[in-house]
Amino acid sequence: MENVEKTKLRLLREAVQNNIEGVRSPRPKARARRKGVLTLWLWGGLLVATLGYLLAPGHGVSKGSAPATADAKVESVASPAPLDDPILEPEAPLPTPRPLNRAVVPLAIRRIVIDAGHGGHHTGAIADSGLSEKEVTLDIALRLRRLIGNGAFEVIMTRQDDRTVSLAKRVEFANSSRADLFVSIHVNWLEPRNIRALETFYVGPTDDPAVMKLASLENHDSGYSLADYRRILEKVYIDERRDESRELARSIHTELYRELRQVNTKLENRGVKTAPFAVLIGTQMPAILAEVSCLSNHDEVELLSDGNYREKIALAILRGIHRYSNNFNIYVKKGT
Amino acid sequence: MEDTNETMCVGIDLGTSRSAISASNGERHVIDSYVGWPVDMVARKLVKKPVLVGREALENRAMLDLRRPLERGIIKEGSEKDEEAVQELLRHLISLIGIKQKGKNRPKVRAVVGVPAEAFRVSRQRLRGAMEGIADSVMLVSEPFAVAYGLEALLHAMIIDIGAGTADFCVMQGRYPTEDDQRTLTTAGDFIDEQLSKFIKENHSEAQFSIHMVREWKEKWSFVGQPKNRVVVIAPAKGKTAELDITEEMRIACESILPPVCETMIDLLSRVAPEYQEKVRNNIIVAGGSSLISGLSEALEKALQEPGGGRVTVVRDPLFAGSDGGLAIARDASTADWEKLSL
Repeated sequence: MENVEKTKLRLLREAVQNNIEGVRSPRPKARARRKGVLTLWLWGGLLVATLGYLLAPGHGVSKGSAPATADAKVESVASPAPLDDPILEPEAPLPTPRPLNRAVVPLAIRRIVIDAGHGGHHTGAIADSGLSEKEVTLDIALRLRRLIGNGAFEVIMTRQDDRTVSLAKRVEFANSSRADLFVSIHVNWLEPRNIRALETFYVGPTDDPAVMKLASLENHDSGYSLADYRRILEKVYIDERRDESRELARSIHTELYRELRQVNTKLENRGVKTAPFAVLIGTQMPAILAEVSCLSNHDEVELLSDGNYREKIALAILRGIHRYSNNFNIYVKKGT
Repeated sequence: MEDTNETMCVGIDLGTSRSAISASNGERHVIDSYVGWPVDMVARKLVKKPVLVGREALENRAMLDLRRPLERGIIKEGSEKDEEAVQELLRHLISLIGIKQKGKNRPKVRAVVGVPAEAFRVSRQRLRGAMEGIADSVMLVSEPFAVAYGLEALLHAMIIDIGAGTADFCVMQGRYPTEDDQRTLTTAGDFIDEQLSKFIKENHSEAQFSIHMVREWKEKWSFVGQPKNRVVVIAPAKGKTAELDITEEMRIACESILPPVCETMIDLLSRVAPEYQEKVRNNIIVAGGSSLISGLSEALEKALQEPGGGRVTVVRDPLFAGSDGGLAIARDASTADWEKLSL
């Protein structure tokens, strides 16, 4: 057996190499990333194709193949993907996406999907007062659409009234509409009930039990198990769309927190996080899910019952979208 | 590598609750991971500083925009203020070992920063960015690896580093740990605080207390299993001072992290090559602030009985095990290595 000094030397060399690799492949600068939006769409398509392939019967991650329990969670992290799957074959990595010269194809945010969470039979969380998540999310979504009006963006909505729309339908709608951004509005329920927190999510895996629980609740009617999502996400971790989604999440979250804490001084900033929500996984464009308030908290329910507060939420989301959009440098008005 | 007057090696353990630094000049410090800015002119006049860090920030929190910028050991996203707070924290740690920010005689700082495995994976660039202007070269390593390196527990060992934000697991098999060798759980010290706070509220509804008080109580009297003494704390209730017996609440809250910790420990063990599993089972090392929970090593050993028994030891100096390990790495790395890692 080699002695400790030799082992240390080897480990040190590996640690340095690991860091050097990190330095050589830095997180893309914001501008460089945005140049790759078209490429990103292509990769998004590939991602969806991969998901579709994986979720098809007989491809290892079919519905019901693993129970969505804590045990399954651990298992799914550690288990390698089936090696007979040509798409997931580790020895055949996908080519590195190359940034697109923007002079060739002007890029801009034109069409935004506003997704009012829940609806119809899916009420979402319900406050003691009877105020339901589906009512609040729809109201905020409609306000947001009004605020955008005939401005810079075209708005399309996954629902405009109190109707049941499955998560899969929402994803399909956003993708077929060739939208540039997807913004999903939800309201949280957190224990203990004195918590009043703001958190915004973009696609990615999570080890946070609270987020896992939230994701499993929000994904209730998706048809996929959380273990399926987690396994898939392990493979799409380096998706470029993720970076754009994170930027969008950060922009919207920053504006929401800035706006709302002025009147909701005890609001807790839980930051931007990753989570395997169905609508974030399936959509092909940069996508976020904002939990804008807590129906579990009595004070927040009072605030949410006030139209002015809901207007503030809509306004903050709009500002966040503008903030993200402005970073593109190119600002193309609808119809131009 | 030899230390010179021109270089200073440091190991930093960047934690959610506490951050520690160990330097090649012999200085070692641990601070609370809090940063606060005076909320207005009056507060600024009272605290007499533009920014407060550590215990000082915590004690003056009423006058400050107080930040605990490392959520689960990762720089919080979505808040520029939290990014700034991380930089202030790092700047303060470096100043504690006697390094000035600028000046002709300022040595080159070579820093090894230990972070949770999850942070290592997702926010490596953000952490490197935060070190710009503070250190000259930076190497990021996973926290349990730093602990293992410092203790020379490099082969057939498991490190469980339980901090405030995360519990990091790492099996050392004589190689640089890969993702398969590591796990990160978010059920750690902060989770205990939340549970304890909830249970006290349920059982002592009239008592008034803050999360900071709960954290202090836990740090003094945390335990799993049988209590050595009753845990009695003092808190205001209805305008008067009241004594609260929170022994049972403390036990239940502290034991709430045992199931995921034990499950992860055994799961990682089961992935070790069969011929080495017994060796690893008998070489489990617990580090981090939460390793100070009384009775923890015994509880983990009890969980190991089913797969054949094992031995769990708590590091002698849990608060500095990570930063000391980082310092050992920093010292052993060659000048050529450091040049490759310059900022």
